[in-house]
Amino acid sequence: MNYPVWVVPILGGGWVIGIIAIIHVFISHFAVGGGAFLAVTEQMAYKRQDNRIYDYLKKHSLFFLLITTVLGVVLGPGIWWSISLVSPNTTELVIQQYTLIWAFEYVVFVCELATFFVYYYTWDRISQRLHLRLAWLYLGISLFTLFTINGMLTFMLTPGKWLITHQWWDGYFNPTYWPSNFLRLVIMFGLAGMYALITSSRLKDEDLRTHMLKYSARWLLPVFFLGPIIGYWYFLNVPQAAINTIFTGIHSSGVGNFSILARALYLSVILSGTILIFTFVGPYLNPKGFSLKAAILFLVFGLIVTGVSEWTRELLRKPYVVYGYMYSNSLLKSQVQQVNQTGYLNSAHWALATLGNNPTPLQTGAMVFRFQCMSCHTTKGYRGMDKLIGQRDLNGIKNLLKTLQQTDPSKNPYSGIMPPLVGKPNEIDALAMYLNTLEIPAPPGEGKTQ
Amino acid sequence: MEIKILEERIYHWLDERLGLAPLIEWSKHKMVPVHRHSFWYYMGGIALIFIITQIVTGMLLMVYYIPDLKSAHSSILNINSQIDFGWFIRSLHAWGANLLILALFFHFFSTYLMKAYRPPREITWWTGLYLMGLVLAFGFSGYLLPWDQVSFFATKVGMDTALRIPLIGHQISTLLIGGSTLSQETLSRFFTLHVVVFPFLLLPVLGIHLLLIQIHGTSAPPWFKKLPQPQQIYEKFFPNFILKDFMGWMVVLNILAILATIYPTGVGPEAQPFQPAPRGIKPEWYFLAPYQFLKLFPGNIGPFQGEQVAMLIMALVPLSVILIPFWDTGVSVKRSKIATYYGVFLILAFIILTIWGYFS
Repeated sequence: MNYPVWVVPILGGGWVIGIIAIIHVFISHFAVGGGAFLAVTEQMAYKRQDNRIYDYLKKHSLFFLLITTVLGVVLGPGIWWSISLVSPNTTELVIQQYTLIWAFEYVVFVCELATFFVYYYTWDRISQRLHLRLAWLYLGISLFTLFTINGMLTFMLTPGKWLITHQWWDGYFNPTYWPSNFLRLVIMFGLAGMYALITSSRLKDEDLRTHMLKYSARWLLPVFFLGPIIGYWYFLNVPQAAINTIFTGIHSSGVGNFSILARALYLSVILSGTILIFTFVGPYLNPKGFSLKAAILFLVFGLIVTGVSEWTRELLRKPYVVYGYMYSNSLLKSQVQQVNQTGYLNSAHWALATLGNNPTPLQTGAMVFRFQCMSCHTTKGYRGMDKLIGQRDLNGIKNLLKTLQQTDPSKNPYSGIMPPLVGKPNEIDALAMYLNTLEIPAPPGEGKTQ
Repeated sequence: MEIKILEERIYHWLDERLGLAPLIEWSKHKMVPVHRHSFWYYMGGIALIFIITQIVTGMLLMVYYIPDLKSAHSSILNINSQIDFGWFIRSLHAWGANLLILALFFHFFSTYLMKAYRPPREITWWTGLYLMGLVLAFGFSGYLLPWDQVSFFATKVGMDTALRIPLIGHQISTLLIGGSTLSQETLSRFFTLHVVVFPFLLLPVLGIHLLLIQIHGTSAPPWFKKLPQPQQIYEKFFPNFILKDFMGWMVVLNILAILATIYPTGVGPEAQPFQPAPRGIKPEWYFLAPYQFLKLFPGNIGPFQGEQVAMLIMALVPLSVILIPFWDTGVSVKRSKIATYYGVFLILAFIILTIWGYFS
């Protein structure tokens, strides 16, 4: 409920975070998994004293350096920039709760970068044994970055005892902290294998190419064999209400918001299964026929799986941004009653200042929409209100808004996926009037209404 | 090591009973040309995987679909909103139909331009055309089954058009509709065609088509055959090409899953035959080109009806592609060039008319 409210037409602010975050996750996971790949593979080269593998690793580490340090470092601040604009309250909460952890994360991250630069620029300049130790050191530090940041990420879905104690320790070591750590770890190994398929597919030495492609493909085994078990462990600790939303989507209509979580989960499972088969019939069984183009396509699917899986995790939190505490529009669960009495715009910082004196109902409605709905909805576009309002007239919209105000799930079917609508009756009426002005698209098969 | 021993045992067990060794030996000798247009060789396999998807999802939908005028629409609603995974299976079936037809168009035009119809592959070509026509008929017959406003009136438009086919239009229309208006008889006939008659007509010919491909091998384009021997690169069909085919299947099945989950297929309001047709009713995208072509003709051309003239002209397209193996046998360079220009013309005409039809 804080200004600035960032208006991103068509796409919505959430997707700006989503796009940056998904690419960042895809790269940051490589920073850890790829670190393991470098260490284990260098250990193999050292043990066999195989210069061909050493030469491969030198090229692979350049690829690693460019991807993780250049792209990763640009996208990391990109996430901070976008979340602070879309959801300043959440950003504030996570920073205030975990100030020291963030500081620690920053130090570890700087160490990670420094270690990798030393690792990359000391090829052939220090002994093989010392260089190998650097590889393992890098892996250790990068694992620390995973374990550090994961506590804050998982806190948002499963704050656990923190909801009662508000102690950072309880929020940090929350119910999904450990399963999420291990799940991400096996995913990271898989992504490391997928990136290595790119560099391996470019090798000229046919024997080495075949060997490295098969070797890289094996890095996907942990995620496919351990992933489902750890995933089950993870879901055991996810709030039951979120699990129920998945099942609502499985046995109800595929069209609409109720099924979105189930749909995302389907995609995640299907795409993951595909990658497993793709790995087996591609680089593992037919390394000679596995081209760079196929490796890039393979990586694109990996990116889609990562994106869909992260999206699923985000959706699991609905209607909250911090489960059981703060709704996705930054409204605190504990504030609902109070805001209904005092008025929504009175509680939203800067809203009245922006509105000025004597606003019209339409201006008031637009402001309520901007502050209360726009973190998830657009007027036209992603979760566009024009489509969601459909053919409803003003009374129909008012009835819908009345339903959205209910906090009792038996009276409000949207309560599992949306925060309750809050505000004084005049604010709700103003919002209804504003929504009624949106141009409604024609339903399929009905022709144009205007 | 133990897995290898197990694999060998399973193989020997199967080999003793099925005689696999000669088959595998034969398939190892089958080669596929590798060139800059090899990508198009995957289209046939992609169409095949979509046919398999349609069969599997179609069988699952049949468990809950009721081909009765009073229940058809509600049974679709039931599948979409009550049955576990129902909407997903239906979306896979609906999107799969569109992707199958798209893959077939690519397969048709790519094999045409690579001159795969030339001797000795004429029967492969004709069976392919037959299968393509049948798949379009599958699409048309399946479209009516949800019995919603759009499907009802789109089918009605299609049947009204069929009625105007010279000489046999009335017979065809009556045979399919089972009367003068779309009714229970029509639904029953379309359902029977969609789930019994067409599959019965499709599967044996599909088998012949696949067998002929194995007998004649993959067709190489004429320019490839003219290359000096060392520059003609081939790869083994088994396991190399088939494994890449598998990867292609995975890609397209993913595209199907993405479309089905992100844009699930809905169902419109139940068909109201006595209401006026909704505005803007159009056929499915793969029938838009003929639909737009028909619209280009005036009501009457001299003593003839405009639409009938248009249909006669359109009939020349399938007729010409059926007869092309006799005309362009590879002997005449001039004929070969004309056939290529004609193919490019058909592709452009199809694309332009489809886009025009969509926006008109």
